[in-house]
Amino acid sequence: MAESSVAVRRPGIVLPAGPPRSLWSHLRPVWMIVASLALFFGTWQVLSSFVFNPHLIPPPTKVFATAVPMIQSGEIFRHIGISLVRVVIGFIAGTLLAIVFGVIMGRLKAVNELLDPIIEFLRYLSPTAMIPIAVIWFGIGENSKYFLIFWGTFFFVLINTIAGVMRTPVARQRAAECLGATRLQIFTKVVIPSAVPYIVTGMRVAMASAFMSIIPAEILAAESGLGYLLQTSAMLVQTERIFVALATISLIGFATDRVFRWMVERTLHRYMAFVTST
Amino acid sequence: MLVVDNVSKVYGEPPAAYHALEAISLTIAKGEFLCLLGPSGCGKTTLLNILAGFESVSAGTVSLDGRRVTGPGSDRVMFFQDAGSALFPWLTVEENVRFGLKLRRMERAESDRRVDHYLAMVGLADHRAKFPSQLSGGMRQRLQIARALAIEPEILLMDEPFAALDALTRRRMHTFLHDIWQRTGKTIVFVTHDIGESILLADRIAVMSVGPRSAFRELIEVTLPRPRDPALAGFGELYGRIEGLLEDDLERTGHG
Repeated sequence: MAESSVAVRRPGIVLPAGPPRSLWSHLRPVWMIVASLALFFGTWQVLSSFVFNPHLIPPPTKVFATAVPMIQSGEIFRHIGISLVRVVIGFIAGTLLAIVFGVIMGRLKAVNELLDPIIEFLRYLSPTAMIPIAVIWFGIGENSKYFLIFWGTFFFVLINTIAGVMRTPVARQRAAECLGATRLQIFTKVVIPSAVPYIVTGMRVAMASAFMSIIPAEILAAESGLGYLLQTSAMLVQTERIFVALATISLIGFATDRVFRWMVERTLHRYMAFVTST
Repeated sequence: MLVVDNVSKVYGEPPAAYHALEAISLTIAKGEFLCLLGPSGCGKTTLLNILAGFESVSAGTVSLDGRRVTGPGSDRVMFFQDAGSALFPWLTVEENVRFGLKLRRMERAESDRRVDHYLAMVGLADHRAKFPSQLSGGMRQRLQIARALAIEPEILLMDEPFAALDALTRRRMHTFLHDIWQRTGKTIVFVTHDIGESILLADRIAVMSVGPRSAFRELIEVTLPRPRDPALAGFGELYGRIEGLLEDDLERTGHG
């Protein structure tokens, strides 16, 4: 039987070669990124120099000049490190607990029915809304930050985990049962692997949310971190330093997402392939 | 021998109860190829699920070689139409076949032998390192067959297994399944709504009536010589007869 395999985008699988691509078409995406950034910084530079008040919107050259000593002294890395550690600890704690709860809720209908209404209420409380009470509970130290990131992570991962567990195809569970799997084996060897793509998606959304929540938390109550840098710079009306902090936040968020995706690709690759119907 | 004795299936409680199956009796011989044929909603999948042990009976009994069937068992393996859902997408072709063997803690040598044997039988030996997402529809169905055969069940229960395939691939799968059946001597219960498919494959065709209270309209013995194809003398005649039965029923119940 010579049915051809369906080509699926997946590293290691070579797609059928089309006509040879020109050098331009290979470099095109790179050039587009360069052009996009050049356009952005160019426009910014011109507008800041000739249109806007440079004290309010400093031009990129000035922002860069401000960044250099902050990088050289290590000041910026200290803030990045502190914020990252807070995000990572809260994120891991939130993810682990959400997976445990999500798996139980996805599998046991009674538990789900009991807890779902509570979660439906609590999940609308954004981490920002929880800052004041977190400070009262945990003070302005690290624990309140861990808690806020945990709070922001937990619900995203939880809801996705529940969905992933519930949507495990019945046919797959029954097939495993026919092959001799016990209930526990169906759970560990079929349901949980089937839920992995959902859990990972929840984690990515949660990661983005964690980065968005750490900043307000640090602005309102912290003595270090990128949000604190924003806050102190604003108090002294150092707009250049504010822009350095903003650029850093974007870069760190972007880089973290890429690292996360890379780690998923390295470790969970085989679980991420969705097989659609025949 | 699989014996279905006076089986009924009712969903829900009166007065809203739905009688899906009523008083179904059937004896399936070892090595027989039986097709359950009927239009959508005739309860053929319900009956298959009962044979598999996924659903309980409301009345009557199902027994296999004298033992009551009360739940799923690895002497009966169900085979699903949507291979994409039924296979384990995170396991390679080889690992999918090995799944049931690992659950049995089978010795490595024997497990290797079976994996090799059944992958070769379904023609997937060269694709063992691939993932299901990299296979075509027909290949996925062959992988499902290999995975089922590897645990060496007595009975294959197949729920419209080829309905989602294109016509050419479906034709190939018929020849392929026929060949596998003759080589392994398994008992096969095959659900379909395709009259031609049932005549090509079956020893007997159980034609089911439209629900509620589905029952067998007729059990037809197919005596055409094997391997069969639609050009065979007598094929068209049998086709017409079964079609007549089904149409009667659809008209009688106002479904047509």
